[in-house]
Amino acid sequence: MDSSLELKRPPEAPLLRRHRWARLLPVALVAPTALFALAITVLPLGYSVVTSLQEFRLGQPPAFVGLQNYQNLLHDVNFKNSLGTTLVFTITATAAEFVLGLMLAMLLKDEFPFQGIIRSSLIVPMAIAPVVVGIIWRLLYNADVGLFSFAVQTVTGKSISVLSSATLALPALIVVDIWEWTPFMFLLLLAGIQSLPQEPFEAARMDGAGPWNIFVHLTLPMLRPVIVVALMIRALDAFTVFDQVFVLTQGGPGTATEVATLMIYKTAFRFSQFGYGASMAITLLILVMVFSAAVTRAFRGTV
Amino acid sequence: MAGGAVGALSHCGGNATSNNRGQITFGSYADPALDILKEVFLPEFERDTGIRTEWVEADFSGWFQKALNDGQTRAGAFDIYVMDDLWVPRFAGASYLANIDELGFQADQDFVPAALDLGFWPPKTGLRQPGIDPKARSVLYALPLISDLQLLFYRNDIYSQGSPKTWGEILQVARERSDPARRQYGWVTRGVKGNPIVNSYFVLLHAFGGEMFGESWKVVFNSLQAVEALEFYLSLLAYEPPGVAEFDSDQEGATLLQGNAFAATMWTGWCGQTDDPARSRVVNKINFDVPPKQVKQVAKLGLFMAGIAASAPNKAGAQEFLKWFSSPSVQLRFARNGGIPFKLSAFQDEEARKKSRWLDAILKCLACGVPSPRTSDWSKVEDILGTELNRALLERGKAKQHLDAAAAEATAFLKGAGYPSG
Repeated sequence: MDSSLELKRPPEAPLLRRHRWARLLPVALVAPTALFALAITVLPLGYSVVTSLQEFRLGQPPAFVGLQNYQNLLHDVNFKNSLGTTLVFTITATAAEFVLGLMLAMLLKDEFPFQGIIRSSLIVPMAIAPVVVGIIWRLLYNADVGLFSFAVQTVTGKSISVLSSATLALPALIVVDIWEWTPFMFLLLLAGIQSLPQEPFEAARMDGAGPWNIFVHLTLPMLRPVIVVALMIRALDAFTVFDQVFVLTQGGPGTATEVATLMIYKTAFRFSQFGYGASMAITLLILVMVFSAAVTRAFRGTV
Repeated sequence: MAGGAVGALSHCGGNATSNNRGQITFGSYADPALDILKEVFLPEFERDTGIRTEWVEADFSGWFQKALNDGQTRAGAFDIYVMDDLWVPRFAGASYLANIDELGFQADQDFVPAALDLGFWPPKTGLRQPGIDPKARSVLYALPLISDLQLLFYRNDIYSQGSPKTWGEILQVARERSDPARRQYGWVTRGVKGNPIVNSYFVLLHAFGGEMFGESWKVVFNSLQAVEALEFYLSLLAYEPPGVAEFDSDQEGATLLQGNAFAATMWTGWCGQTDDPARSRVVNKINFDVPPKQVKQVAKLGLFMAGIAASAPNKAGAQEFLKWFSSPSVQLRFARNGGIPFKLSAFQDEEARKKSRWLDAILKCLACGVPSPRTSDWSKVEDILGTELNRALLERGKAKQHLDAAAAEATAFLKGAGYPSG
């Protein structure tokens, strides 16, 4: 090419240079934080994915086994059972917490004497460490000296071993979760209710609508974005329940309360099957992501 | 100024210098049996040697996880790992521990042999895990720290003729004297799934002549003797508090110390509490012995071990601690302060035996003690067996069916892990 024909770039005007810098500045400012966030989220996740493709044998370096761990997972009855248990736990606990939380929020939304004390005392369970919650409830459920057994014995004349019953242990854990986390639902929903505009409610009352109609046709639809967020947060948290199960039942009796996180923990850290444990964790993560995506899709436009 | 900087750097690194012998960091699980060591003997060690000590502890599972991470990443956060003896195969096998032999430690003849043997890897006797050279020399990787094991605790007001000699006697007394209406039970056990129920059953299994593994790691915990042992274990249920299937050692111990049970096999950590009026309603009413015999008389070992981390910043200091703590004079004072020693001379000291009246029984238990199988895969097998034992306890029967189910699952697992007869 003839060099004389080459177009010479005009020198950049100072204003243009400043404009480009102004465009890059936010990126430059955000970059360290973004890189840090990536480092603490994506890197461990990537490491877990790599680990899930390996097998660890005592005294030998990790061996790459491809998708073998995932194939084994497909035939692992215990893992499938633990996923089922987790699902039952999540759905039941979240639903009950939502209903109770909403009832409490509706009940306590208006001004009343001692409301500060009552509202504060309601959120106490949420402030207790989950391990302590587990210990408290283990005593309550104790067959020999526990409150539940005492109450049942008073009525029926027979003591009851809640945590050593294959049918009662999981519901007992769900009750503990409801006790601990209903206050969270209550707080979120109360904040949502109190932030709703009052005009539609006043108009409805003037039109003669009763409390039930107002609740069903105004409160619930207007509260829908808050409800979705609250349900989502609680469900995701319930999916990863660990502490209470660990303290109360260790997954027993038998495998009646063996939730997925407990199984992952045992596989990786007690049995040192790090690769297999990582493949379980990644599978659970994918399932949780699918669940979140499904909920988000179902309620698209409302959140 | 440069000198000051060098001094500061060596201080941060925890390395020994001429004036300051540096620091050693212990990582441990929390356990009351370690209190005397922490409160009395570590300060003494600091005074004697000029080496500072730091004690970092967590709950049992939490510490296990931390120690694994430290070993794997070679982070060097700890100099000494306090371990359950069950961890030695895993930590030594994965090279997380320093070879104490190579560091120049010489074990003398005063060590209780059964206690010292648990620190060797590969094990000195018995089966060797696949992947371990059958001819490889056993190397010392850890020393005992506390001689923990399960011994028989029995009420001397119930067993007035002395300790029960057979398991049949335990059942007979339970039958005759249990009174659930007054919350008086003949026996109490840890029934929660996993490690607790397996440890409870372990003693009976061996007493009835059973084993966990046969030749070439063949699973034999569903043998005739094993089934008989489990059936016996289940027969005791009628004379136990309700809900033992959810009992761990805290509830088991509380039942005995509240005067609600006549006997139990429990860990040595409970011995000191039996005579403490603040914790026990049966002060001086509990005696100790080796668990009864059926075919054999055995105790279950579960010693606390101390190993030097392969990545320890101050290996010399850590080794000095092990040498110091295992010296006869320190062990003697440890026993006289109520600690459970691991040196024969300390067990034989009159003053120590008077202070801790359970020492004789513990020494007898050490002589007939059986540890958990020496494989890093035992935890998985224990979980499988523990789940089925717990189910048998809930159903109060079907011993053979549950042991067969556990054996089949354990066999499949071991096969996948490369065991010859898995």
